[in-house]
Amino acid sequence: MYAYILKRLALTVPVLLGIATIVFVLMFAIPGDPVRLLMGQHGSPETEAMIRQELGLDRPFHVQYVRFLGRLIRGDLGRSYRQHREVKEILFERLPATLKLGMAALGLAVVFGLTAGILAALNRNTPVDGAVMVASLIGISTPVFWLGLMLMLVFAARLRWLPVAGYGSGGDLRHLALPAISLSMVYIGYIARMTRSSLLEVIGTEFLRTARAKGLGPRVAAIKHGLRNALIPIVTVIGLNFAGLLGGAVATETVFAWPGIGRAMVDAIRMRDVPVIEGGVILLSLSFVLINLLVDVSYCAIDPRVKLEG
Amino acid sequence: MRMGLNNLVGAVVVAVAICHGCGQPPRQHAGDTLRYRMSSDPSTLDPAHSTSTDSGLVVLKVFEGLVQYVPETLAIAPAIADSFDISADGRVYTFRLRQGVRFHNGREVTAEDFRYSFERVLDPRTRSERRWVLEEIEGADQFSRGDAETVSGIEVSGKYEVRLRLRRPFAPFLAQLCMEGASVVPREEVEKWGEDFTSHPVGCGPFRFVSWKHDVEVVVEAFDEYHRGPPKLRRIEFRVFPETSVALEEYLVGGLDVLDQVPPGRLTDLREKYPDEIKVWPILATYYFGFNHEKEPFKGNRKLRQAFNYAIDREGICDVINEGVPVPASGILPPGIPGHNPRLSVYEYDPDMARRLLAEAGYPEGGGLPVLTLWYNTDQGHQRICEYVQHCLKKIGVRVKLKNIDTAAYWQALYAGEPAFFRNGWVADIPDPDNFLYTLLHSSQFGAPGNASWYSNPRFDELVERARSATNWPEREPLYREAERIAVEDAAWLFVYYYGDVAMFKPYVKGIRLSRQGDFAIPLHNVYIEAAR
Repeated sequence: MYAYILKRLALTVPVLLGIATIVFVLMFAIPGDPVRLLMGQHGSPETEAMIRQELGLDRPFHVQYVRFLGRLIRGDLGRSYRQHREVKEILFERLPATLKLGMAALGLAVVFGLTAGILAALNRNTPVDGAVMVASLIGISTPVFWLGLMLMLVFAARLRWLPVAGYGSGGDLRHLALPAISLSMVYIGYIARMTRSSLLEVIGTEFLRTARAKGLGPRVAAIKHGLRNALIPIVTVIGLNFAGLLGGAVATETVFAWPGIGRAMVDAIRMRDVPVIEGGVILLSLSFVLINLLVDVSYCAIDPRVKLEG
Repeated sequence: MRMGLNNLVGAVVVAVAICHGCGQPPRQHAGDTLRYRMSSDPSTLDPAHSTSTDSGLVVLKVFEGLVQYVPETLAIAPAIADSFDISADGRVYTFRLRQGVRFHNGREVTAEDFRYSFERVLDPRTRSERRWVLEEIEGADQFSRGDAETVSGIEVSGKYEVRLRLRRPFAPFLAQLCMEGASVVPREEVEKWGEDFTSHPVGCGPFRFVSWKHDVEVVVEAFDEYHRGPPKLRRIEFRVFPETSVALEEYLVGGLDVLDQVPPGRLTDLREKYPDEIKVWPILATYYFGFNHEKEPFKGNRKLRQAFNYAIDREGICDVINEGVPVPASGILPPGIPGHNPRLSVYEYDPDMARRLLAEAGYPEGGGLPVLTLWYNTDQGHQRICEYVQHCLKKIGVRVKLKNIDTAAYWQALYAGEPAFFRNGWVADIPDPDNFLYTLLHSSQFGAPGNASWYSNPRFDELVERARSATNWPEREPLYREAERIAVEDAAWLFVYYYGDVAMFKPYVKGIRLSRQGDFAIPLHNVYIEAAR
C-alpha cells in the first residue's frame, strides 16, 4: 500500500502542473485587464505601462509562462496584484475558516445523512422512507443562499437566538451554526440517498440473510453487518463532497460574511487578481487530490479485501 | 401515532410562538466604539495604492496630507499645512507645515517626509496607481523614468516648508493634493515593512491602525496626539459584510452603528420605519449612457443622439427605480462641482420631440435603425435602469437589446471601443470640472484615459485646455460653462442622473458631517456616541 501511496503522490506533480497550465492559459485568454482594474477608471497611459512592466505583464506569453512555472516549482505562488502580499499568506490565513465551515457542514451531513439513509433503508416503502426521500430531495434542490437567508431571518433577525452573520471571535460555535446548517443541507440529501440505496443493495445479500437466520434482528443485522459493506460508495461521496466544500461554499461565505477561500477566489476572479486565482486553484486541486487519496486508502480500512498496489 | 405526531407539531408551534421575540434583545452600542459596515475587504491600506472606496474608508482616517476637503462643500482647507499660497503664474505652491504634528510612532512630521512620500508615489518601484495625482510636478516624469535621482520640482526649505513647482499652471492640482495618494508616510516605517506596509499602515491621522483580520474587520483606535485634539471615539471597527441585505439585518439587531448602503427597493420602507436614521445626500457623480461617436448610427448624427435624450423619462428612473435618491441630470457637472449650471436644462422628457428628431435623423418611427445593443456591467441596479431605457426607446420605435458582462471584461470592451451604446458613470476624483470635462470628453483622452465615447469637438477641446491652465476661478468658470453647453447640445451622452448616497446611522451616533465625496469620506474625528440616558 505504501508504494501505491507514494506513486499517487508522485503523480500529483504532473496533475498539478497540468492544472496550473490550464489555469494560466485561461487567465491569459479571458477578457479583463488586471492593470486597468488596479488603476480604477482614472490613470494615465504612462502609469499603466509602468505598472504593467513592474508586474511583468508586458512580457510575451511564453516568458510569463516559464516564469510562472519556475516560481511554482519552487513552491512560490507569487504576490497578489491588488493586495501586494504573498498569495500563500492570503490563502492560508483563510484556510482555518474554510476548514471549520467545511468540517462542520460535513459533520452535520454525515451524522444526519447517514442516520436518515439508514432509517429510510430499514423502513423501505413506509412513510418514514417517503419522508426521508422527499426531505433529501428538498435539501438537494434548495438553493444554499436562499436557505441561509431564511435561517438568518428566523433564527437571527426574528428570534435572535444566533448572530446574523460574521466570524465572531475566530469562528465560534454561535457564528458557525447557521452557515454550517445551511451548507450541510444539500450534502445531507446526497448522503441520505446514497446511504439508502447502498444499504438496500447489501440488505438483499446472502450473508445478511445468514446473519438473520442466526437470530439477529433486522436492524442490528443491517447496521452491524450491512453498513460496513455499504460504506465504500458512501465514503466516496463524502470525500468528493468535502473536496467540493473547500472551494465551493462561496454563496454561504458571502451571505454569512464568512472569510473563506471561496469568497477570496470569487473576489480575485472579479478583480482579475491572477496570482490569487492561480494559487487558489492549485491549492484546491491539491486538496482534491489528497482527499481522493485518503478516500482510496480508507477503502482498505473498510474492506480488507481491497488491496492497493503500486 | 397520529395523536403523538399532532402533539409534537403543536408543541413546536407553541414553542416558536413563545420564543418569538425571545432570545437576545437588540444589542446596544459598544461604548465609545463605532461599528461601521464595509462592503468588501480593502485591497490595501497603503495610500499609494488606495483606489477603492473600501480602502479609502480606512486610509482617510489613518493618514493625512497637506490639505483636505471641507466635507459638505469640498472647499479646500489646510490640514498638516498650516497655510499655503500659490504663485501668480500658478506654478509654485508653497506650504508651511504645522509644528508638532506627530506620526503614530511618535516622530514629528517634517517637510522632508513630504518629499519622501511624494517621491515614493512617483517611484516606478512602488507601482503606485495614484501616480497621476502628482505627475504635474516638475521633474516627475524624469524621476519616474529613472533619469533623475530626485524630483526637481519638490523643494524643502527648513523643517516646515515644502514648495512644489509644477511643469505648467494646472488649476486642479491643489484638489489632487487632498487625495489619499498625497498623504504623508514615515520613511522608517515604510522601509521597515516594505510591501507589507499595506497591512501595517502608520500615518498621522486621527486614528491609528490596530489590526486587520482579512475579510472580517479592520480596527483602528483613537490617536490622542492628533494635532486637532484627540478624537471622541476611542475605537472604530470596520466590519466586512458583503451582502447589503445581511448587513441591514445586522444593523437592525444592533450589531452595526453605521450602514453605508441600503438594499435596492428597501429605502421607502426603511424611511417610514426609521426616518431619523436614514440620510440621503447628493454626491459628485454622474450616471449616463454613452454613445460611441466613432460608430454608426451615432457617428455624426446629433439629431439621433438628441432624440434619445428626449425619449428618456429621467424622473421615472430617479423617483421610482432609485426611490428618489439621485436627481435627474441636466448636463455633465453634478451639483457641488464648481461650474455646475443649474439653469442648463436642455432635454426634458418629450417623446413627441424625440420622434420628430428621430425622423429628422433619418429614422422615422425607428425605421431603418438596426436593433441596438445596450451594454452594461452586470449589476441588478444597472439592469433595472437599462430595462427602463429599453422600454422608453421602444415607445419611440427604437429597438434595443441588452447585453451585460462582468465589470472587468466590460471595461476592457468599453475602452477598446467595442460598444456603440453603453452604460457608464463617473465619480469625481476631485471636485473640479476638469475631472469631468477634460477626463471624459477631451479628444486626447480617447479610450482608457476616460473618453470612452470617443467624443471630439475642437471648440470644446480648446475651451477645456484654456480652463486647465487658467490661474483663477473667475477666468475658468465661463470656459467650463461654455464647454459643457457645447457637449450637452451635441448630446455627447444620454444624460441620466446625478448620484446620491444613502446611509443609515443609529440615533446615538452624533457629529456626522456628510461628505459630497460619499459616505467613505465622512470624517470621524468629531463623531461620538451619545450615552444612553
